This record gives sequence, C-alpha cells and structure tokens, in this order.
Amino acid sequence: MTAPAVAGVTVQVIGGLMLSPLLPGLIQHWKARLQGRRGPSPLQPYRELRRLWSKSTVDVAGTTVVYRFAPAVVGACLVAAVGLVPVNAVRTNLGVGRDVIVLVGLLALARFVAAASAWDVANGFSLMGASRDLTMAVFAEATLLLALAVAAVLTGTTNLLGMIAGTAGGGVWSSPALPLGALAFGLVVVAETGRQPFDNPDTHLELTMIHEGPLLEYAGRDLAYLQWATAARHWVVMVLAAQIFLPHPRGVWAQLATLPFVLTLMCGALALVETLLAKMRVLLAPRLLGVAASAALLGVIARGVGGS
Amino acid sequence: MSAALYWLGGGAIAVGVVVTLFRAQWRRGLAVQAVGATVLMVAGIATVATGHTVGAAFTSQLTPRWGVDRLSGLFLATLGLVAAPALAYSSRYLNDSLRGRLVGALTGAFVLAMAGLACARDAITFLGGWELMSLLPAVIILLHRNADSESRRSVFIYLAITHLGGVGTWVAVLLLAHAGAFGTAGVIHYGSGLQIGVAVAALIGMGTKAGVVPLHAWLPRAHPLAPAPVSALMSGVMVKLALYAMIRVFVDWLGVLPTWFGVLVLVVGAVSAVGGITYALFQHELKRLLAMSSIENIGIMVLGLGACLLLRAHDETAWAALALAAALLHMVNHAVFKALLFLCAGSIEQSVGSLELNRLGGLLRRMPWTGLAFVIGAMAIAGLPPLNGFASEWLTLQALLHVAMSGHVGDGAAGDVALAALGATAALAVFCFVKVVGLVLLGPPRRAHVRDAVEVAAPMRAAVAVLAAACVGLGLVPGLLVSRLVAIAPWSGQAPAHAGVSVPGTGSLPTVGIAVVLVAVTVALTLLRGRRVAATAPTWASGQPIVPALAWSTAGFTKPLRLVLEVVLRPRREIDVHTDGGVVTEVAYAGEVPNLIDERIYRPVARWSLAGAARARRLQSGSLGTYVGYLICLVLVVLIAARIGWLG
Repeated sequence: MTAPAVAGVTVQVIGGLMLSPLLPGLIQHWKARLQGRRGPSPLQPYRELRRLWSKSTVDVAGTTVVYRFAPAVVGACLVAAVGLVPVNAVRTNLGVGRDVIVLVGLLALARFVAAASAWDVANGFSLMGASRDLTMAVFAEATLLLALAVAAVLTGTTNLLGMIAGTAGGGVWSSPALPLGALAFGLVVVAETGRQPFDNPDTHLELTMIHEGPLLEYAGRDLAYLQWATAARHWVVMVLAAQIFLPHPRGVWAQLATLPFVLTLMCGALALVETLLAKMRVLLAPRLLGVAASAALLGVIARGVGGS
Repeated sequence: MSAALYWLGGGAIAVGVVVTLFRAQWRRGLAVQAVGATVLMVAGIATVATGHTVGAAFTSQLTPRWGVDRLSGLFLATLGLVAAPALAYSSRYLNDSLRGRLVGALTGAFVLAMAGLACARDAITFLGGWELMSLLPAVIILLHRNADSESRRSVFIYLAITHLGGVGTWVAVLLLAHAGAFGTAGVIHYGSGLQIGVAVAALIGMGTKAGVVPLHAWLPRAHPLAPAPVSALMSGVMVKLALYAMIRVFVDWLGVLPTWFGVLVLVVGAVSAVGGITYALFQHELKRLLAMSSIENIGIMVLGLGACLLLRAHDETAWAALALAAALLHMVNHAVFKALLFLCAGSIEQSVGSLELNRLGGLLRRMPWTGLAFVIGAMAIAGLPPLNGFASEWLTLQALLHVAMSGHVGDGAAGDVALAALGATAALAVFCFVKVVGLVLLGPPRRAHVRDAVEVAAPMRAAVAVLAAACVGLGLVPGLLVSRLVAIAPWSGQAPAHAGVSVPGTGSLPTVGIAVVLVAVTVALTLLRGRRVAATAPTWASGQPIVPALAWSTAGFTKPLRLVLEVVLRPRREIDVHTDGGVVTEVAYAGEVPNLIDERIYRPVARWSLAGAARARRLQSGSLGTYVGYLICLVLVVLIAARIGWLG
C-alpha cells in the first residue's frame, strides 16, 4: 500500500470510529455560543459515552431478540458505512466495497432495525418517532439517490473513489449540475443527521421526537452504541458532502489536509442553521425534500443539455 | 440427459397429481409432486448453468413443440424452487377431505401448466398454457372457498380482467406467428407498424397477467383468497411468467424497439412499484398486503426491463444485458421471498385463525421457526443488505443510473425519475415490512387467542426454512447467478463469476464481505455489551400500562405518511362520537384508503358498460314480432344494397 492509501485508511477508520462524536459535539457547542449560552464543551458526547459505558443495560419485559440485538446491528451497519466511505481518492478497499448505493442500503438496514425495536417494546412514543422517521425516509432516500445521481452522472461511476476524483478541482463547477446536486445533498445531510428544521436533536419531549424516539427504552452500553451510531451518521454524510459536493482539491494529500477544515466549517454551518431556523411541522418536511429532489433532477437534465 | 430430467420431473408431478386424489395416499402423492418439482428445479439449474438448449427451437408453425433454453430453464428452476416447498407444505396445510385432496391435485396441475408455458415452442401450446395457467387458480380458489359469494365475485373480476386484457396476448402472439417472427428475431423491422402493434398489444395483454398498474385490479382480490401454497405459486411464479413472455417478445423477437416504448415501460414500472407498495402499506390484512407488494415487485422487474430496452436502443449492450439480468435476478429473488412470506402467512392463519394485522402480535416468541423465517423474508423483500432482495435492487438501481448517464436528455431524465421512484419504493418497502413484522411478530399479543398460538407441523416449518435459507444463500452469492443471467440476452453480455457483483462503473457489491463485516461487528458489539443487566423493567409509557386497547395499530403507524399523501390518496375517515348528557359514551372510528385506480377507472368503466348493456338489451325484447321485423329490415337492406350495386 502506498503512503497516501495508508494515511487515507487511517483517517477514515480513526476519524469515523473515534472522532465522529466530535461533530455533534462541535455543533452543540457552537449552537450554544450563537444563542448566547456558554454551553457544553465539544467533548460532551465522549463524556456521555463514558457515562453510559459504565452503566448497566435494561431488559424490557416481554421483548425478544429484536430488542436485544438492535443496538449492535445498528452499530454494525454504521461501522460498515464508515468502512465504505473513503476520505481521499486513493484505491483502497476495506472489504465492503466502495459503492455508494450499498451505503444507502446499510443506512436503510439501520433504520429498519431501529423501527423494529420500537415495535418490540411497544412503546407508543418510540413508535411515533419511528413512523415519522420512516415517513421522512421515503422522501429523503429518493432525494439522496437523485443527488448522488448528479455526481454519478458527472463522473460516470458510483464508485466513491471515482466520484471523489471526478468532482475534484474547479472544472466541474462551471456547469450548474453539481451546484444543484450539492443543494439537494445539503438538505439530505440535515435530514439524515436529524437536525433542524427536520428534527430537533435537543428535545426531551417524547411527543416531538423523531430519530430519538426509538432510542427511548435503551440504557447503558446499548444506548452508547446507538448514540455513537448517530455520530457516525454525521461523519458519513458530512465526509460525502465535503469530498464530493463541495469544492475539494485534486491531490490526495491535499484532500486529507482540507477535510478537517471543511468538516469544521460544515459543523459551523449546521449550528447556524439550527439557530436561525425553528423545527418545521413534520408533515411539511417532505415538501422541502421535494424541492431538493427537483433541484437534483434539474442537475441531471442540465448535465444532459450541456453534455450533448 | 437434461431432457430426460425434464420429462422425469414433469412425469413425477403428473403421477403425484393422480396419487393425491386417493384418500389413503394423498400425502404421498403430494410428496411425489414435490420430488418432481425438485427434479424440475435441478434440470432448470443445469440448463441455466451450461446454456445447452434442450428439445425443439421456436417455430411460427402451429404444430406443438417443446423445448428449453436458458431463459425457460431459469423460469423452470424458479418454478421448481417455489413449488417443491409449497407442495411439501400442502401435505400438512390441506386436510384429507375430498376438497383438500382436489386442491392438492389441482396445485400440481397448475405447476404443470406453468411448466408447459415455459417449455412451449409454438404459438398454440403457448396460448394453451397461458389460458390453463389463468383458469386453474380460479378453479382452486372456488373449490377452496366453497364458492362463497366473496370468492365468486373476486374470481369473476379476476377472470374478466385477465381475459379482457389477455386479448392483447392473443393478438401479439398470433400476429408474431403470422409474420413468421414467433421465435425469430429480425423479421419485423424497426419502427414498423407491426412492431409497434405487437409491442403495445403484448404490453397490455401480458401486463394484465403480470399485474402492472393500472391493469392490476384483479391481483389483490384473487391472490389472498387462494390457499397459501397456491398464493405462493401465483405471486411467486404465475405473474413472473407474464414477465417471461414480455422478455421473449420485447427482447428476443421484436429486435430493437423505439426509445419512446422503453420510456413507456419505465413509466409503467415506476407507477406499479410506487403505487403497489403505497397501497400495500395501508392494507390491514396480511395476505392482501402481500398481494399488493407483488405489484410493487413486478414494477421493479419492469423497471429493469425498461432500462434494458432503453440501453439497447442507445446501443449500450453491456449495460442492457445487465439491466435484463437485474430484472431476472429480482424475479428469482421475489419468487423466493414472496413464497416464503405467503407460506408463513398460511402457518399463522392456521395457528391463530386470523390474518388481521391489528389482532396479532407477539408471535415471534410463540412460533419461533415461522417467526424467524418471516423476519428474514420481510428483510429480504424490504431490500436490505446482506439478503437477496438488496442485490437485485442494487443492480436495478445501477441499470437505471446508466440510463440517466446515457447522455440523451429526455431518456436520461426518465431514467433519473425512475431511479428516484425506485429509491422511494425501497424506503416505502422498509416502512411497510417493519410494520408487518412489528404487528405480527413483536410486542404483546393484541388479542387473547393469539396468546395460545403454537408452532405449526414440521413439514410446514421445513418448507419456510428452505426458502429462508435460499434468501440468505442468494443474497451471499448473487454474482454466480448474474454471470449466467447476462448471457440470456440475445446479444450476450458478460460478467465475471464471483460471489459478489462487480461491474465496471460501480463500486461493486462484495456481498460476502458486507455480510461478514455486519455479522462480525454485531457479534463483537454484543460480546462487548456484556450481560450486566439491571432488573427487568416494563416498557415506560409515562406511567401508563401497555394494554391491548392502547396498542399501536396499522392506521396509527402509517398516519404520518397518510397525511403527507392526503392530496393524492384521498383517504376516507369517519368518526362518530356519541355523547350522553355531555359525557362521551362511545367513539366509533372507521378509516380506509380507497384504491384510486379502482375508484377512478374501473368503477366508471363498469358503470358505463352496464348502462350500455342495459340499452342493448332493449333490442332483445323476446317478442317474435320484433325479430320478424329485424329479419324483414335485413332482407330489405340487402335488396337495396344489391340494387344500388354495393354488393357487386
């Protein structure tokens, strides 16, 4: 393996598995600052994970293997997703391939398992969150595929390495296709990470929960897995956004070097969005995603018009 | 060798059909049938693997001919794979009454009719197999349900729609035979009226049998009424044979079709996929829900077929072959998991006595074998890795993406929209089957009698276990099958024979790697979690006890989506609140999501037809005088025509 490949895999594994909780931590930290509070330190997610790690789990009466294994499966899905998303365009393979549509499948599996665990505990609040999450996923997944299609059409492949290499540099930004795809993907990032205006990650009111709902009955290490999975989901979609849908350099070392800055900037942007926007009515969210989907579709058409 | 195997398999089923009729031997008869189906599957797999054709080639002559090539072999293998467990399952599912034995025998005959259709090499045998395949399930449904009013009405709708639409099949097949193009490519010219006529007639006729929207109205009515093994065969194989016929006509015989036809097929596929799963989501009876989801899956296959036609028209033959392989792979996969789910539904019905989703629950503990198989089937049909449904949806998505990449603006946009539709379909399928798993298997039992449910007999468990294993196996090594499937296209594409699917232009699908990572990490995390469990606690619902009356129902779980789609779906909802002196004494709730196509297309058409028939009936007054009058008028008209010179 070459040096950039070793560096790339190292950043991918260490960043995805260990540094990902920093992302929601940073967003919370800056959000508090923007709102005039001192707020928690960016390391707060790590403290939470440590606290949960030393606590015992809860066995809910009458549940089955579905409840028991759901956090581990969700964790495994996100581990596989982290292994799948490269941080620079160097040929590496961690055994799960490099295909972006496989990533969509892994995220769907995590969603299925979380919703099934909500049915297992039969808690109305969990199910309410799960049903909203699944409703939003219908529109988010279509939009996600359309946004990815823009990048795939531009680069001629769904291989993430090819997509990162193909969208690098300034040339692709001369046509309106990629900006339109980036707009759509930006909204998908907000929806997938469960942030405002789609979901409020700070809520402690069960009635308003979406992504948090199915987590209600978990405690201890189970909950730690699920919270880590949420952080890892931030990592996966934000790395994709940074290395495909935002301007990034061609050099594989430069791609590694700019990544932390772009991720930090994106955390700032998400904090700003969370501060400026209130959570929208859950039934209106699909419309916003519909706008994003139309933008992505326009992107593919724009490329067709410009390319032929 | 292979031909002998086919005859052996078919013969064994035929012998089994006869033996099934005898009271003392009927279980043995079903076992013989199952063995025959297994032999058929082995022979089919051999043909798919080697590519050697057996028997006669296609002919436009009207003399009966039989033969098997790779495409037929694939469908025969699928038929055997579904029929063998279904027939073994029947030996405990049916009882030894005359009706039960007749249903068992007719199931075998139904299998033979479908095998005959797949082997037919001339127009007459083909159409004969086609009609038998439509009629036998109708007979089975009427027998099984003792011809009650619901079954009579549903069978009438089934036969009426499949025969009205089926005219298209006759027209297409006979036109092809007349032109000498039944089995011969290159006879019909590109863009000629004949090509368009045959293609449209075939899309209508075979689309009706496949159950694509808007020609699907019979499917959710007929499939749930049949006994579970027959439902499995109908959804698993029968509707696929319509896809087989479409592939024969569109891909093998008509040559390259105009791109607008490819776009039309894509639209039909996308509407079927999204429409089917949306209405499946709002069903509250398990078998009806499964029937609706068959429409969705047929839609996904039609999407693959449409992508194949478009890519071929753009001369991207490698991807066109992959698109066809995607449709065929999904055909095999759907046959396996839909048969699995229907058989599980039959087991649950036998054990609990109801398939009303809101009245089940907690069955995973009570029926662990059936329950676990059901979970695997549900996850496979929801298109989740690492099971088989994901592999075929992945390949279909890739094919659609390549349509979008083709560089042509209009077709590219169509491919892109179809891609989004398939993405939404996959997410809806996750929604739908999480709901089913939750309502049927998880949570506390929602009715008292569900609490006493027990696991079904061993052959029924074994049948679903075999199919569940097939879901896992096909999910692990889809690449081995794909490498054979791409060779089915007449322009023969190529794919390497790996376990996973690796195609240039994609990041490849290393199925085994994904499965190993998922399982290994799950095990590792479970071990890390340890066993430090605090005392068992009840579910915390703000201090409220979780009682059946408060349990979440299908209507509650799907409500957010129903509200979002309210403008399109127009759900009906009625709430009656009875108050007595200001105190609410009773609240009655009724809600449903009516099928738009039924309401907006079928109902008006049926009304107009009945009104027209009522008018036409006045001509038949029954009085002799009127008829004599008609005759005199006819003679006068003929005389006048002859006098003017019209008749020469």
